[in-house]
Amino acid sequence: MLDQQPILEVEDVSKSFGGVQALKSGSFKLSRGEVIAIIGANGAGKSSLIKIVAGVYKPDKGHITIKDTVIDPMHHNVGYMRQMGIEVVYQDLAIVPNMTAPYNLFLGRIPRKFGIFVDERKMRKKTEEVLAELKVKTVQSLSRPISEMSGGQQQSIAIGRAIAWGKEIVILDEPTAALGPNETKEVERVVHEIKDRGTAVILISHNLEQVFRLADRILVVHHGITSKEFQKTEVTIDELVKAITLG
Amino acid sequence: MTIHEKTNEIKSQESGGLFQNLRNNGLSDPQTRTKMMERLRDNVPFIAITLVILLFWGISGDRFMSLRNWTFIAQQTPVLLLLAFALLLVVTTGSIDISVGSNLGFSAYMAALGMLWFGTMGFLVGIFAGVLIGILNGVIFSLFKISSFVTTLAMLIIVRAVLVIVSDGRSIYVSDQPMSNSNITSIEAKWLLDLGQFPHILYVSIAITFLLWVVYEKTIFGQQLKALGGNEKVLRLAGISVTWFKIQVFAAAGFMVGLASFINLARSGAATVQAGQMQELDAIAAVALGGTVLTGGHGSVLKTVVGALTLTIVANGLTIAGVPPSWSMIARGVLLIIAIAISLNRKQIDVVK
Repeated sequence: MLDQQPILEVEDVSKSFGGVQALKSGSFKLSRGEVIAIIGANGAGKSSLIKIVAGVYKPDKGHITIKDTVIDPMHHNVGYMRQMGIEVVYQDLAIVPNMTAPYNLFLGRIPRKFGIFVDERKMRKKTEEVLAELKVKTVQSLSRPISEMSGGQQQSIAIGRAIAWGKEIVILDEPTAALGPNETKEVERVVHEIKDRGTAVILISHNLEQVFRLADRILVVHHGITSKEFQKTEVTIDELVKAITLG
Repeated sequence: MTIHEKTNEIKSQESGGLFQNLRNNGLSDPQTRTKMMERLRDNVPFIAITLVILLFWGISGDRFMSLRNWTFIAQQTPVLLLLAFALLLVVTTGSIDISVGSNLGFSAYMAALGMLWFGTMGFLVGIFAGVLIGILNGVIFSLFKISSFVTTLAMLIIVRAVLVIVSDGRSIYVSDQPMSNSNITSIEAKWLLDLGQFPHILYVSIAITFLLWVVYEKTIFGQQLKALGGNEKVLRLAGISVTWFKIQVFAAAGFMVGLASFINLARSGAATVQAGQMQELDAIAAVALGGTVLTGGHGSVLKTVVGALTLTIVANGLTIAGVPPSWSMIARGVLLIIAIAISLNRKQIDVVK
């Protein structure tokens, strides 16, 4: 089936920092409209794995294929990956707090007028659209720093950015760790919408119940190796916990 | 800020206020107080300059509040103002440049040398020298990852030494007529001396201020400055080339210093080895008095103008009041600390190093 053609293929990638091997061997595949959850203990290598996919780190070995294109190590950077349609929402590093919501939504893609000026009208319009799409209504002012908004609203701007430009893959790194129950529900609803649109989602979460609510497949990272992979329908929480702790 | 934004802001403030009142039901006192403190903090530069003017008017009366004295202040401020602009660019990103004083002396000397060699347009050599020092600062700081304070401290020393070597301790004078004395190196440039006088110097300053305001508030570059001061890591993760941008920032600051050095040459009529000495401190003080937080992320061109003016007025007012120079310095130092103390939101600070 055409739909089953993987949009992302990660093959045996590894990454070391100085003498520490953060990721020994990471491999997985991802199809359109699929949600894969990556779970593992702290320091297991989840973060390194997604940062390689996001273009932050170049893998020491192994390679990544996106839409049948093998990524040339020369091009392996964030800018290129974002061009390829990959967006990430980082847990603590999603927004620039002193800037406005429109700036944060357009982070790294500020629309220009005459080459050097900021096209503020375009940014404002798009921000209003995205906020409406995400059903966020209580944003006080688009010309104030985003740090004046609630944590949930800040997160929705970050997710809005991922949705707006992550046409192929959206990576969510603990997207609800800092949110209350209602906001968490909102984010989960959005994840379903992204999935329905045909975008693939990579979710990192410590909340196993959430993983079961959202993911189609679950990938376990243990001591730097993507050791096990489960279909959500054929695994229990107990088995997952066992896989996280024992590999 | 457009009218649309303004109305939106007012609307949001209104709705925010209403919402808060409903929610807190009269217990909103601490929040109201925080808001008022914030508003006060926003307006510190304007309050400070008003108080300072009133104070010296009270002390010295018409000797301070005369057209002649204000013309003098208008002539005194521009060099400090442009240096403060250079620092504003750097401080907004959360870094600092303390080499601007040395750079000023060096660039002014290079401008004079350039005019000696190439005639009128030779002054561009000075601007170029300023940019070059800025780029050097930026490269050492950004590529070699040496903190901006250490980098520019080293440059402060090195550039001054280079100036001493290049000039051999001799000054170059600007004159409005051919000089017959061959012991003095001089350039004939009446236009330059005219430029250093009121009102031309004021027009030039206003034009530069306006251009910088456009750059700071309306361009991608200006926006990036503030974002870099907000959270560099987020920018890096978003694929923005921070390393290259930081070099641009220091180059832009160097350009501002180049302009300042040119004005300084016009104003003082000489390129000397001492030019700009200790001026980095005045420039930092002007930026701080302008309400720019030294940790970066925020800043205002207009308030920096107010900061530079305040500092000039204080120096001027103290002189007119007959205060000895050393006491005047002490007063300015104290003023700096008070300004920073008010502009900082101490609740948000965990660690002070």
